Amino acid sequence: MSSAGLWMLATLAVLVIATGLPAWALLIGTSSLFGLAGVLTGQVDPALLGALPGRLVGLLENDLLQALPLYAFIGLLLQRLTMARNLHALLTRAARRTGAAPALATLGVAALVAPMNGSVAASASMLTRLVGPRLGGVAPARALALMSASAALGVVVPPSLVLLLLGDAMLNAHTEAVRLPWFAGTDTARIVNTQDILRAALVPALLVLAGWALVAWRQARTGADDAPTLSRGARLEALAVIAAVALLVTAVFTGVVRAVEAAATAGCLAVAWALVSRELKGHDWRELLSDSLSLSGALFALLVGATTFSLVFRAWGTDQWLGQLAADSPLGHHATAALLLGFVGLCAPVLDAFEMIFVVVPILAPPLIAHLGDARQAAVLLLLVLQLGFLLPPLGYAVLMTRALSGLAPMSLGSLVRGLAPYLAVPLLVLVAAFGWPALVHLLDGPGANAAAAAPALPEDEVERLMREMAPAPDPVAPQQPQ
Amino acid sequence: MTTPLFRLVRWLVLPLTVLLFLQWPLRDAVQAGSREANDLAQILFALYAACAITAASRAHQHLAAHGSRRFHPGSPAAAWALAVCLVPWAGWLLWSASPAVWQSALALERFPDSNNPGYFLIKIAAWLMAALVLIDALAALATTRRAS
Repeated sequence: MSSAGLWMLATLAVLVIATGLPAWALLIGTSSLFGLAGVLTGQVDPALLGALPGRLVGLLENDLLQALPLYAFIGLLLQRLTMARNLHALLTRAARRTGAAPALATLGVAALVAPMNGSVAASASMLTRLVGPRLGGVAPARALALMSASAALGVVVPPSLVLLLLGDAMLNAHTEAVRLPWFAGTDTARIVNTQDILRAALVPALLVLAGWALVAWRQARTGADDAPTLSRGARLEALAVIAAVALLVTAVFTGVVRAVEAAATAGCLAVAWALVSRELKGHDWRELLSDSLSLSGALFALLVGATTFSLVFRAWGTDQWLGQLAADSPLGHHATAALLLGFVGLCAPVLDAFEMIFVVVPILAPPLIAHLGDARQAAVLLLLVLQLGFLLPPLGYAVLMTRALSGLAPMSLGSLVRGLAPYLAVPLLVLVAAFGWPALVHLLDGPGANAAAAAPALPEDEVERLMREMAPAPDPVAPQQPQ
Repeated sequence: MTTPLFRLVRWLVLPLTVLLFLQWPLRDAVQAGSREANDLAQILFALYAACAITAASRAHQHLAAHGSRRFHPGSPAAAWALAVCLVPWAGWLLWSASPAVWQSALALERFPDSNNPGYFLIKIAAWLMAALVLIDALAALATTRRAS
């Protein structure tokens, strides 16, 4: 019955789609049902379920998760300030000769602001409110596709919260992977950290952004762009936002400041600007704080549900069963890795990014890393698969959220698919490139990022000779420990 | 009943943001107090997150797919379904966590890495989270029973 965890996933997927009840409650309900069944049938040790309070305390004392309310607050604050609107107007003016200025400006705003939004939902909310009314000249399906893609941009653009949490999850997964006896690579010199993942994701993210800009330009060309007029103050405000984001992102990449501290700095600057400019009244502040509390609660609830779910999933032994299946795979390393990524892709339209990171990644990432032999490549591939999953019509999360919030006229599935297809093709191409050419994710590797992988490979007999010289009493089956 | 609590807790995000920012100058310029700022932020975050889940339930903000109209937010069917999902879980958490939380509170447990005070508040926050979820699920049930 080790496969029971897969039935948990299937039950969850059916309940999420059929009932429309909150996903966090369904995660907990499904876990409770399977946990109880496991205890009653003697398949699950009740003592394992006693670890739940400790795991939830672990969430509350997680350093990285402190950033969750921060990101939610900043995202909601930016929706209420004129900053994002001025930024969109400035970028529209800058791109006015292209014939697709509002669409290109939408991607520009998303790229600058999405990393500070807490989730795809927050990005979708901001973009539909800000950009929706300004895309009147674009066909509804194409406008929806553009806003969905822009909302999903925050998944891959550093230093988004999704990337930070994935970095943390990959650290644990890499530690587990290098202990597997069938680990395929040499990426054992140092376990990856969040900074490594941020660096690895940047080039693929820029490629996705460039590809989507091309698609947006082709799809949204209307020939005549009415460039909005901007006051001197509004222009300066927009330029200040671009400068601040550029400075903070540079500071994160050069290691001067941690990603969460950079986001907090941006938050403090935005609050200071809101106070100085008096854009928000007392009622607006109270509403903003209440909305931040609710949005943070919605995101944190998903983590609580996912933590409960993964505990029961592991209590059934499904993680080990899947790991063994992956180890025994007759398909070879790359084909098995592709299958694992396909499984992640199947889950992505049903589960939110946070559920994916806390439920699916801890289970599938260790065998994926072990088959690829490269934790950074595995992280980037997972991000791209997540992004693709969010854009798959009709259930992709970004598509669902944008469709619900945009107020656009109903459209057929066919027109939606046609609008989204080019946007799906871009991350798919980058995914294929990162899969076939792992160097793509190592272009910005820091010095000493992977000493073992960077070292020139020695012939096998030479390695054996050196090992014999170094170890007088060799133990050929001793597992390799991470440093 | 819990609305005044949420009105108070919603402000915590502001000092949390400031504390997360302060860690940078405290670490690099002052070279002191960064760890204390982090621990204090952790306590604020734990209390904030513990209350936020129920605040999201009250505001119908939890993420959900568009499903059956039978389970629309606030309906009796949704209240019953949520109670079935959440009441046993919250009850189990309260029952199994109480001894450890009580011990931690009695000992005024400190942060294990830094020895700063207040770690017991994080354990109390976990207990508070489960208590609020339980109360909210039962209150929603009671409301639907009264309405019917």
